[in-house]
Amino acid sequence: MEMTQVKIVECSFFIPIVRDSNLSDGLIHKLETWQKLSDELFTRFGGRTMAPGTYSGAYRDPNTGLEVTDESRKFYLAVSENSLDEVRQLLREACDWFQQKCIYLSAAGQVEFVTKP
Amino acid sequence: MIKGISYFTLRGRVIDLSLLDAEERAAVTDLIAKQRSVTEMTEYSNYYMPALSSLYLPRGLTHRQITETVVWKIAQDLDGRLMVAADMARAPDDYRDSFESVIRSDYPTQKAFCDATGLTEDLVSHVLARRKHLAIDTLSEALRRIGYRLAIVPIERV
Repeated sequence: MEMTQVKIVECSFFIPIVRDSNLSDGLIHKLETWQKLSDELFTRFGGRTMAPGTYSGAYRDPNTGLEVTDESRKFYLAVSENSLDEVRQLLREACDWFQQKCIYLSAAGQVEFVTKP
Repeated sequence: MIKGISYFTLRGRVIDLSLLDAEERAAVTDLIAKQRSVTEMTEYSNYYMPALSSLYLPRGLTHRQITETVVWKIAQDLDGRLMVAADMARAPDDYRDSFESVIRSDYPTQKAFCDATGLTEDLVSHVLARRKHLAIDTLSEALRRIGYRLAIVPIERV
């Protein structure tokens, strides 16, 4: 009998440390928002690893056309390949919790931007 | 944070540690020691989840059930103190944060919350946007209708 091995892939994503200033107020997140993310990552994927410090980046806001710089926290997950849709679903929800237009996700070497539905 | 057999969270919640079993109390002691020893907050953030998995998964709890335990709440509170100290998160110091939390956790929509409390949607929107305050008697009555009450709690140092 042939056994199929489930492929485990590494995902990482960035959560900006402030709310989007167009969608919201540009303030740092409430503690409970980060705690909700931790709860959900633990519940749905059994945990996560956080990278130390923050990451600076820049992008062009699709709504305003202006360049925006931001500072983010980076999270890592190791998930089965067929759980990637669950990661995307969580990040769609996180767009709402963290008041972001999109969240940068890198999964198995591919980058995508997860947006609110 | 700890006074006698009570743990005080940043939100002012009091947790009675005497209700925990010996392993859970040892885990709390370990988490506090770890939180105090780290030089970078992610050291602790990456520590508490595996620590609580080791404690609770052998007892048959699911990951969701672990997040509902008192020890998880303490572990997260300790993490939260580091985040607030590093200016990575806002401490819950405004009643409107708690107000927003109740809406998000207990009601599917803001309208459902307004229907339950008797507050107008316009007023609630202004309060959540930090443009207005609620009079204390209005707030008390609205909270009473949905099974909450106001409380005065000590300020927790981060």
